[in-house]
Amino acid sequence: MIERELCAKVLEAAVSTGADYAELFAENSKNHTVNMVSGKVDAINDAVVSGAAVRVYKGLSSVMATTVDRSEEGLIRCAKKAAAALGNGKAALSVVLRDRMYANIHPVLVVPSSVPNAEKVDILRRACEAAAGYDRRIRQVTGTFLDVDQNILIASTDGVYASDRRVRTRLSVTALAEAKDGGTQTGSCSPGRRMGMELFEKEVDPEATGREAARQAVVMAEAGYCPAGVMPVAIGNGFGGVIFHEACGHSLEASSVAFGLSQFTGKLGEKIAGEKVTAYDDGTIPNAWGSLNFDDEGTPTRRSMLIEKGVLKSYMIDKFNARRMGLPPTGSSRRESFDYTPTSRMTNTFIGEGPDENEDIIASIDEGLYAAAMGGGSVNPTTGEFNFAVREGYLVRKGKICEPVRGASLVGKGSEVIMNIDMVGKDLLLAEGMCGASSGSIPTCVGQPMIRVSSITVGGR
Amino acid sequence: MEFTEFKVLAAAEAQKAGLTDYELYYVSEESTEISMFNGETDSFTASLTGGVAFRCIVGGRMGAACTQELSAAEAAALVRRAADNARTLEKEEEAFFAAGGAAYGEARRAEMPVLSPEALTKTAAAVSEALKTCHEKITERCSAEVMTQQLRTSLVNSRGVDLSWEASVDGVYLSAVVADGEETNDDYDIKVGDPAEMDFRAMASKAASKAAAMLGAGVAPTGSWPVIFSGEAMCSLLSTFASAFSAENARKGLSALKGKEGETVASELVTVVDDPFYPENPFQRSFDGEGSPAFRKEVISGGVLRTLLYDLSAAHAAGKQTTGNASRLSYDSPVSIQPYTFLLAPGELTEDALLEECGNGVWIDFLGGLHAGANPISGDFSLQSAGFMVEKGKKTRPVRSFTVSGNFFQLLKSIVALSDKAVLPRASGFTAFASPAVMVKELTVSGK
Repeated sequence: MIERELCAKVLEAAVSTGADYAELFAENSKNHTVNMVSGKVDAINDAVVSGAAVRVYKGLSSVMATTVDRSEEGLIRCAKKAAAALGNGKAALSVVLRDRMYANIHPVLVVPSSVPNAEKVDILRRACEAAAGYDRRIRQVTGTFLDVDQNILIASTDGVYASDRRVRTRLSVTALAEAKDGGTQTGSCSPGRRMGMELFEKEVDPEATGREAARQAVVMAEAGYCPAGVMPVAIGNGFGGVIFHEACGHSLEASSVAFGLSQFTGKLGEKIAGEKVTAYDDGTIPNAWGSLNFDDEGTPTRRSMLIEKGVLKSYMIDKFNARRMGLPPTGSSRRESFDYTPTSRMTNTFIGEGPDENEDIIASIDEGLYAAAMGGGSVNPTTGEFNFAVREGYLVRKGKICEPVRGASLVGKGSEVIMNIDMVGKDLLLAEGMCGASSGSIPTCVGQPMIRVSSITVGGR
Repeated sequence: MEFTEFKVLAAAEAQKAGLTDYELYYVSEESTEISMFNGETDSFTASLTGGVAFRCIVGGRMGAACTQELSAAEAAALVRRAADNARTLEKEEEAFFAAGGAAYGEARRAEMPVLSPEALTKTAAAVSEALKTCHEKITERCSAEVMTQQLRTSLVNSRGVDLSWEASVDGVYLSAVVADGEETNDDYDIKVGDPAEMDFRAMASKAASKAAAMLGAGVAPTGSWPVIFSGEAMCSLLSTFASAFSAENARKGLSALKGKEGETVASELVTVVDDPFYPENPFQRSFDGEGSPAFRKEVISGGVLRTLLYDLSAAHAAGKQTTGNASRLSYDSPVSIQPYTFLLAPGELTEDALLEECGNGVWIDFLGGLHAGANPISGDFSLQSAGFMVEKGKKTRPVRSFTVSGNFFQLLKSIVALSDKAVLPRASGFTAFASPAVMVKELTVSGK
């Protein structure tokens, strides 16, 4: 995208006022979505994202300048702007770039940005029609076919000169069913991978995606409201892992830990979770939604054990916050695009398999909730307070799954709730989501086998 | 390449492709921002971004594509992609561009200076200094951010619309972290305007006091209670459910207000106004994202839904006039229907009188997880909350980590009182919400 010699010139301009680190991140991406409503193509969003960012560090200060002008002149101007903002010292670094050939662990066969609209519409239509035809109570179906083709280049004064092409594809269906009280209930299913069009031959059946969204909507349409109170909750596998993402994951990101703003600051080696909890952040899972070959600072991704049998083992750390923390970076630096300052974020974050059988988890609950499918959530890492929504819930009485209930959310304090995870099943599954924070909206996977939280506040009515 | 040059190239490409109806929308955003942690510069960001969106009508359907790469080759590719997208669409409603020559209202804008990097640094240092001594429980984990932004947008189309809008925006954000023993809490304050006219000490004290007031908070008891939402909390609800007022969402069957124009949808105490010229909002706009004039309108008056919000296409499909509510956040945002300042009109009670009226109940200052715990289509919500118990007409102990659950559309009908002062918590460049404190007859609270 940009020749090595020019990158070196840009970095030399960037370090001209005494920076002890400089980095160039350049991007040219194609983002495309096709939306379908009532079986008809309703809208298409089609964007080219193109620009570059120069970052410089000096000690614990950082400066970033961005530009949409990727010409030599534009890049040098951008680098000088960053250098000027850092101060007026003298250049103390010499720039030597070495080509890096990182292994491509997420191969893509057919890049969707090169595929005509009609092929994407066909897949989307199959999914939406399957949802619409699932049950007579389905009132409306909307769907989206999303594909991103991100081309990036990273050059930095610690010697990185590397580029990558990151392709991801996602199909998303939302179905609305008429509820028995006259309102509507929604169900959705949104599988995605770091793959191309082959996704629909290998991993995702469009019709099954549509039917799953419709099934969930119809179940919820029959449901009464979830009761309110504190109770034991079994949380199903896959997207259920959002509980770990919100209750713990965000609070292990250097962006809050480095500043002493996380409830888990200074707790390495201490027990912070139930002893059946072993959790990972793994950006190396081939073709997974949250995977990368290397992060947005050029550090290869890795499989980090965050928690082992309840004991905190690692944080997720980017290069800049690594300085403040005195710990090495973990390949966790991420940004939505060149226009966002990257920081430590999750990739694919999940609770590993445990010793329990799902039947035993359900059987252990005398009166509580089984959250079969979860929606999104949020957390304040400073206080640890989090919330997340139950998309598909069932009451559990005397160890048996009973009638479905709707409108539940779970709230609590992360450090308390992960201590309360006292049973962990064996059916580990990952699920895709978008995670929003200061460095933008990025694809991440959450995941877990079925777990039991011995006590948590359930918001119902 | 500058937009003025790119615009000519794109227009030539459009003509070459036989397109007669087309539009170009250009956004340029130049911003500089400094962030200090405990008085030390943590990061400094200077960003130059923006791009161009091209839309064209082919066979009655609107295709669009956008780009940040302004070059001759990209001008041709952009036009080709937009036309190809138009041909793929199957939406039945006909698409339109606004006609030139319309009369536009006058948008007043607050004057805000373009801040130099030195001025930003000085301001952030002053905010950091104010944070240090603003409260007895303040910690060294506070942060301050100051930003200055210059926005320019241009909208031109083949029907004679040629509009532009420029603004210089400054803002200050601070986060106050307080602690009492092991317990930590934070709150923030944010202000848009010329920092020279802001009282940082007052901002810091306000945030720290709010955070400190929640230290030692318990959990609200589970049950059904009268609930008062503060103006800020009510704005959170309004912003979450505003999509129900979009005529486009109603057409798609994604709004509970579909077909309800002219019907009672709220308590008779409820009047909602959408106002592009709301005096408290420093960002006023005289035209929408399609180039139609923006104007003030009552959306709900005395509980009756007077109108939904329309853009050109939704209005034509419904046989109505556009309400000028086509919104475009940036160059790459699709046109969507949004309010300007969406104001729930204040009532007559002071906050004290409102508390008196409530007697025993729960006052909610904060609602969290709105993107997940609320369904904008059905109106159902179950949300993480924080606030105070109300006992014998007074706010007493702080409560947090509980949920409040209900249905937004039923809530509108069960509003029994409103305070006499509306707050506008977060003015952004586009959609803002303003609301007084609102008392609702009864909602379910789930705590201990």
